Amino acid sequence: MRRMLLERNADDAVFGHFGAVAGYALAARRAMHTFRTGPETWKHIAVGQRKWANLNPTATMYDRPMNFEDYYSARWIIEPFRLFDACLMTDGGRAIIITSAERARDLRHPPVLIMGMGQHNPSEDVQQATHLAGPTGAKRAGEMALRMAGITLDDIDACEIYDCFTYTVEITLQDYGFFGPGEGEDWFKDGTIEPGGKMPVNTSGGQLSEGYFMGLTPLSEGAMQLMGRCGKRQLGPVTHTKSPEIILCSDNGGILQTHSCIILRRS
Amino acid sequence: MGDYNKPLPNVNGDSKEFWIGCKAHELRFQKCKACGHVRWPASIFCPLCFGRETEWIISEGKGRVYSFAVYHIAYHPGFESELPYVVAIVELEEGPHILTNIIGCQPDEVTCEMRVEVIWEDIIEEFSLPKFRPCG
Repeated sequence: MRRMLLERNADDAVFGHFGAVAGYALAARRAMHTFRTGPETWKHIAVGQRKWANLNPTATMYDRPMNFEDYYSARWIIEPFRLFDACLMTDGGRAIIITSAERARDLRHPPVLIMGMGQHNPSEDVQQATHLAGPTGAKRAGEMALRMAGITLDDIDACEIYDCFTYTVEITLQDYGFFGPGEGEDWFKDGTIEPGGKMPVNTSGGQLSEGYFMGLTPLSEGAMQLMGRCGKRQLGPVTHTKSPEIILCSDNGGILQTHSCIILRRS
Repeated sequence: MGDYNKPLPNVNGDSKEFWIGCKAHELRFQKCKACGHVRWPASIFCPLCFGRETEWIISEGKGRVYSFAVYHIAYHPGFESELPYVVAIVELEEGPHILTNIIGCQPDEVTCEMRVEVIWEDIIEEFSLPKFRPCG
C-alpha cells in the first residue's frame, strides 16, 4: 500500500502528501475560503446518509446510528476532514445489466430507463487545479444530462451522488444547481436529504455509510429504487417521501478531475 | 543527516533541472517561450499551448497559500515526529502552483491567501527541499 502511494504520487510523498483524502481535503479547504462551507454543512450530509444506512440491512453502518456529536467527536483524518467525512473501504461488488429496452421488457424485474447522460473532465491535477471550489465537472455534465433528458432539476425526485467525501456531495449538488455557492448548510439543514426529506440523497447510506463500490454505489441504488426493490429504505410511502419517477446519479474520479451524470427513469 | 527517513524525490529527465536548482537554493520553473505560461511540475511541453520551447526562470520564492491540509495521521513513518503538519499548495507570484509544506508557524495559524516565502531545508547531501513560511 505504501509503495503504491509513493509511486502514484511521485514527489508528493517528499512533502508527506499521500492519497485521495488529502487531495479532497485541499479542495474542501479552498472551498471553505471561497464560500460558506465546512463541518457545519458536512455534518448534515454524514448524519443524513447514516439515517438511510440505518434502514439498509446490507449497509456496513446499518446498526450504528450517528448524531452530530458523534460526527464532531470523531478524530481528524486529514483536516478539515474528520473520520465520518470519509467514505468506507469495502470488499465486495456491484453489477448493473444494460440491454435494450425491448429485451428488458420480458425480464423478471421492471427495467429502468436511461434518460440522459453527461460527462465533463476538468482533468487538472489538484496541485494546479483552480476548479476545486467549483464549478467542477458536475456543472457541465449535469447540464448535458438534463438537456438530453429534456427535463429540469424540478423533475428530479431523488439523487444518488458519488460521495467519496462529504464535501463531494455538497459541491456536486451545488454545481448541478440545487443551491448557490455557500447556501448548502441552509439547504441541507432541515433533513432535506434524509428519510422523509424533500430531496432524498444517497438512500442506501452511500459510500459514507453503506459501502464503497465506486460509481456503482450510487448508480445501482438509483436503479434499485426505481425498480422498487429497496425494502425499508424504499422511496415512497414507506419512507414518507415522493414515489420516485426520475433519479439523478453521479460519479467522479481523480480529485474532482472527471465527472459523469446519468439520469434514470422508471419504465 | 544520515538518519533522514522520509521519501526522497524521484528525479527524472523533466524534473532534474528543478531539483538541481533546489540544491543551489534556487526555485527554477519552466516558462513557455510561445505563450509565457510558467509551469510546475516540469514537463516536456506546455500544458496550455503545447509549445515545446521553454526557458528556465528563477522565482523570487514569494507567494500565497492557495489551499492547505493538516495531517493528523502519519501515512509514512518518517512523518510521525512532524504531526500535526501542513501540506499546502502555494501560488507563487510568477504564477505556478507548487505542492509544499508550511513551516515556521502552528498549523492553526495557516490560512488561505496567507503570504509566504520559500525557506530551504537541506535534507541530505543531494537534496534540498523548498518549504514555505509566513512572511509580512
